[in-house]
Amino acid sequence: MNRLNKLFASKNNNLLSIYFTAGYPALNTTVDIAEALEKSGADFLEIGFPYSDPVADGPTIQHSSECALENGMSLKVLFEELAELRSRVSIPILLMGYFNPIAQYGVERFCKKAAEVGVDGIIVPDLPIYEYEKMYSSYFIDNGLSNIFLVTPQTSEERIRKIDELSNSFIYLLSSSTITGYNLKLSDSVEEYYKRITAMKLKNPTIIGFGITDSSSFAKACNYANGAIIGSKFVKLLGEEGYMDKIDGFVRGIRP
Amino acid sequence: MKIKVCGLKHPENINAVAALQPDYVGFILYGKSPRYMANLATDALQTIPASIQKTGVFVNESSENIDRLVTEYGFNAVQLHGDESPEFCAAFKGRVTVIKAFGINEDFDFEQLKDYANNIDLFLFDTKTKEYGGSGKTFDWAILDQYKLDIPFFLSGGVGLENIKEVKNITHPQFYGVDLNSRFEIEPGLKNIEKLKEAFKIIKNKTQQMKYGVNEQGYYGDFGGAYIPEMLYPNVEELREQYLNIINDDDFKAEFDDLLKNYVGRPSPLYHAKRYSEKYGANIFFKREDLNHTGSHKINNAIGQILLAKRLGKKRIIAETGAGQHGVATATVCALMNIECVVYMGEIDMVRQAPNVARMKMLGAKVVPATSGSKTLKDATNEALRDWIGNPVDTHYIIGSVVGPYPYPDIVARFQAIISQETKAQLLEQTGKELPQYVMACVGGGSNAMGMFYHFIEDEAVKLVAVEAAGKGVNSGESAATTALGDEGVLHGSRTILMQTEDGQVVEPYSISAGLDYPGIGPQHAHLFKTGRGQYVSITDEEALQAGLLCCQLEGIIPAIETAHALAQLEKMKFEANDNVVICISGRGDKDLDTYINYFGY
Repeated sequence: MNRLNKLFASKNNNLLSIYFTAGYPALNTTVDIAEALEKSGADFLEIGFPYSDPVADGPTIQHSSECALENGMSLKVLFEELAELRSRVSIPILLMGYFNPIAQYGVERFCKKAAEVGVDGIIVPDLPIYEYEKMYSSYFIDNGLSNIFLVTPQTSEERIRKIDELSNSFIYLLSSSTITGYNLKLSDSVEEYYKRITAMKLKNPTIIGFGITDSSSFAKACNYANGAIIGSKFVKLLGEEGYMDKIDGFVRGIRP
Repeated sequence: MKIKVCGLKHPENINAVAALQPDYVGFILYGKSPRYMANLATDALQTIPASIQKTGVFVNESSENIDRLVTEYGFNAVQLHGDESPEFCAAFKGRVTVIKAFGINEDFDFEQLKDYANNIDLFLFDTKTKEYGGSGKTFDWAILDQYKLDIPFFLSGGVGLENIKEVKNITHPQFYGVDLNSRFEIEPGLKNIEKLKEAFKIIKNKTQQMKYGVNEQGYYGDFGGAYIPEMLYPNVEELREQYLNIINDDDFKAEFDDLLKNYVGRPSPLYHAKRYSEKYGANIFFKREDLNHTGSHKINNAIGQILLAKRLGKKRIIAETGAGQHGVATATVCALMNIECVVYMGEIDMVRQAPNVARMKMLGAKVVPATSGSKTLKDATNEALRDWIGNPVDTHYIIGSVVGPYPYPDIVARFQAIISQETKAQLLEQTGKELPQYVMACVGGGSNAMGMFYHFIEDEAVKLVAVEAAGKGVNSGESAATTALGDEGVLHGSRTILMQTEDGQVVEPYSISAGLDYPGIGPQHAHLFKTGRGQYVSITDEEALQAGLLCCQLEGIIPAIETAHALAQLEKMKFEANDNVVICISGRGDKDLDTYINYFGY
């Protein structure tokens, strides 16, 4: 049982996850930020590795990716930084990024290396079910990594069932069909979508992401799922002066 | 899985169906059927190859008449569609293949089939109707689980392109084949050959015969697929499910052909360039896509996709553009169809191609600058994809090249295939031969090249030459020569060859031509390159500009700088005197006048 499964076994509501881009605002900050987030109470983390063409991301995360690339962040550098991860951080860690950098690094090598530094799961938005299942799933499974799939309000029930079957930690529910960094509007149709998912009684826990910015949107999301993820809003904070000292207040503000 | 095409009655149509090589063809000899082959000459079936079983379909006919018709038409099989008894069937067994048809509904008693088991060769299970066959409707195929005999069966009734994939999923051990009829017709008895072709392709998964074509999962060899975020999945899936049905539909084709002819001005001329022919020692032909309305080949695809979008019920169009040609083409067709149009264009390209920005605005499109990344074509594509993520229901994304997630590369290739289709006919008329020795075109993403290659790809005697932009030189660090500099990876939703760093970051390409500075190529091009079917070369800015000027001076044609790359390659080729060489003049040079002027100092 990896750290993610242990976490979900011990706690199934109000789970808070934070996303940040590795290498932003500077190199050698990944583990420092992760450690600070754990101390302030985050339940698990997503560490983004940057890509030149992040089609699913809005301006904030695009900007952080550009800066990270300029700073010299790469998968190689990230894995070097993460070498000390498990001596300092104990909550579950996921890596999140686009497929091409992984393909260049080598999918098998990437999975091995991720497991070696203590990563628990991977989120690759542009690696769809078919390709994952047909070509790569064994590398993930052999290395004990959970692969996280995304579900949107447009995803069909049949496909959600398939995703549930292929998942072994949690399912990432998108608050709406959008790129990252837009505010969650809890319209009737979104609420209906959450209710539809709840009624499906999936075997995996669900975590809502995209558009969660503060304690109120976090609380709303937690009405329908086991927890929620904050990304762009936190990445914005990392762009501010003295961000390390603001992390604790930010996280505690989300879940008072 | 065997394929039977049933209900033929017109000689030319029979030959066209036979050319597809089904396993069985069926002729209905029942007077009440709209597909009754009355008055068909007895020798009309003689041209059908012996590998195809000719089947006579009868309903409660006398055995004398069946015998007579079997002899007259040379049937190899009889299909008995009425209330024929086991004994009646047995009389034909051994002489011809005997197929006994039954109409199935939820109350069907499979027990009654036992008595037929030793007296026939095949069953055919059709949808139960009051009349005999021809309902065009399916029955619930799950019922077939109740069938336990060991006589193989054909499945019939309502099989069409929209459910053919479900047919492929039938795992019944006695499932023998599928009977295609009314869902593949223009009118009763007249088959739609294009639709049948699609069905054959799906059923036979013809990757072998179509060595360079796309398979069902959207792959060309190692390349293609749909590497897209889940947010785009429903959009792409909707297209994937519907595009073949829509574009093979007769109404669609009629509207597409009409617009190509009367709005675009097709067919575009195939011009025998005499001074070029003299200079290069071969018969050089120009396929004049520059003469199309809006000045390039891009309009072919834009017309096709706007008709597709209309049939999908979309209310809004988005597009990306590099040089602006595709943006102008898209803005044009949106004006034509009165549909809202948003074009994403790199901020840098907007400056380089200001006249095209103005054109798009005049045509009523909103031009949105892409300010992310390198602010050129690839970023415009990213922005368009982001827009589509946010607008999944009412918006269609008109991709301008043979790139992007499957089915886009196939959609765009099909709409551009008109280029090679016309070329074949024009070559035949002008030279007496359909196939040239060479076809040549420039490649950015590769849509004009794919259109130029499309109908020649499977004819391996035709050499395909694709010309990329080397920019300031392949090794200068400022180039767009993707096959020379790229590696395999994933860009804009498909596995292909792209220019990237060791860490998998996309490298910004460079070319003087805004239409060629794309860091990838379409997945089918990647496949043609990797298999060696196509020759991929590159031409520098300078070589292209010189070739553009030469074309003005020798033939009185100012080509787009993109096209000038293909023309420049002629300098490097060695032809035989009788070689026929077709080069795609993908666009006209008006939009590039500033660049030409700056370079030559006019």
